[in-house]
Amino acid sequence: MDCEKLLDEALITGPGYTLSDNFADSLALKVGRKFAWEQYFKEFLIYLGVILGISIVSVAMAFIWYDANWQEWFNFIISNLPLVTGINFILIFILFTDRVLLRYFFYKSSMGTIN
Amino acid sequence: MNDAELVVQILNGNNNAFRFLVSKHERLVLHVVGRVVQRQEDVEDICQEVFIKVFRKLKRFKGESRLSTWIAAIAYNTSISHIRKKIRQNEHSYDEHPILIAAEEDDALNQKIVEKEEAKKYLLEMIERLPVNYRTVLTLFHLEEFSYKEIEQITGMPEGTIKSYLSRARKLLKEKLELVAKTEKTNIFVDYVEG
Repeated sequence: MDCEKLLDEALITGPGYTLSDNFADSLALKVGRKFAWEQYFKEFLIYLGVILGISIVSVAMAFIWYDANWQEWFNFIISNLPLVTGINFILIFILFTDRVLLRYFFYKSSMGTIN
Repeated sequence: MNDAELVVQILNGNNNAFRFLVSKHERLVLHVVGRVVQRQEDVEDICQEVFIKVFRKLKRFKGESRLSTWIAAIAYNTSISHIRKKIRQNEHSYDEHPILIAAEEDDALNQKIVEKEEAKKYLLEMIERLPVNYRTVLTLFHLEEFSYKEIEQITGMPEGTIKSYLSRARKLLKEKLELVAKTEKTNIFVDYVEG
C-alpha cells in the first residue's frame, strides 16, 4: 500500500458526523405539517378575500343602484363600533377555525394515527 | 422513481415521497454540511434547514441538473451562510487560504501515530484542517463523485479553480504525510510513504 492509495482511501471516507436515526421521518412529519398549515391558511385567505370582495360589490351596488345614504351607514357604524367590530371578529374567527384550525388538528391527529 | 417523478409527487403533497427524498440524499447533505461547518452540534439543524429549503424551492427545480446537484448546492450555500453568520458572531473562524498545520500541533499528532489505522485517521484530521473550499471540493469530487461541471454548479467556483484546489489539496496532504513519516522514522507509517 503506498501513499497515494492511503490518500485515496482517506478521501472516500466520510467525515464522522451523524444524524439521528429517525431524521427522515421526523423531518417529513415536520414539513408535512408546515405544508398543511400553509395550504389551509392560503385557502382561508382566499375565502376571506372572496367574502370581502362580495361585500364590497354589494355595498357598491347599494350606493349606486339603491341610493343608500352613506352618512347614515357611517353614523351607524361609528355609534355601534364595538358591536360591528365584535361581529366581524367572530365571523373571521369562525372562518379561521373552520378552514384552518380544525382541518389542521384533524390532519395532525390522522398523522398520529398513521404513525 | 426518477427525479422528475419524485418532484411531482412531492409537489402534490405526497409526504412519503418527501421522506424518500430525505432518506436518499441525507448522506450527501450530511457530508457537505459536516465538511463545511465541522460542528456536530450544528450539523443536524443545518441539515434540517437544507431540506426545508429544498421543499420550499422545489417548484423552481427545472431539471436542468441532477436533483442531487441541486440539493448539494443548497446544502453548500446554507452551510456557507451559517459559517459567515458564526464569523460575524465571532464564534467560529475559518481560513480561505491553505495553511500547514503548526509545528506544535504536529508533535501532538505524531505521538498518536503508532498504529497502522492511525495513518488514515491522521489524514482525515488533515482534511478537516484544510480551508473550507478545499474540504468542500475534495468531498464533492472524491466522496460524492460529482464531476467538475457539477461542482461548478454547486459551489459557483470556476472549473479551473476546482481542479487547482483538488491538486493543491492532494499535494498538501501528501506533503504532510511525508513530513510526518520522516520525523517518525520508527513508525510503521513510513511504509505508506516509501512503499
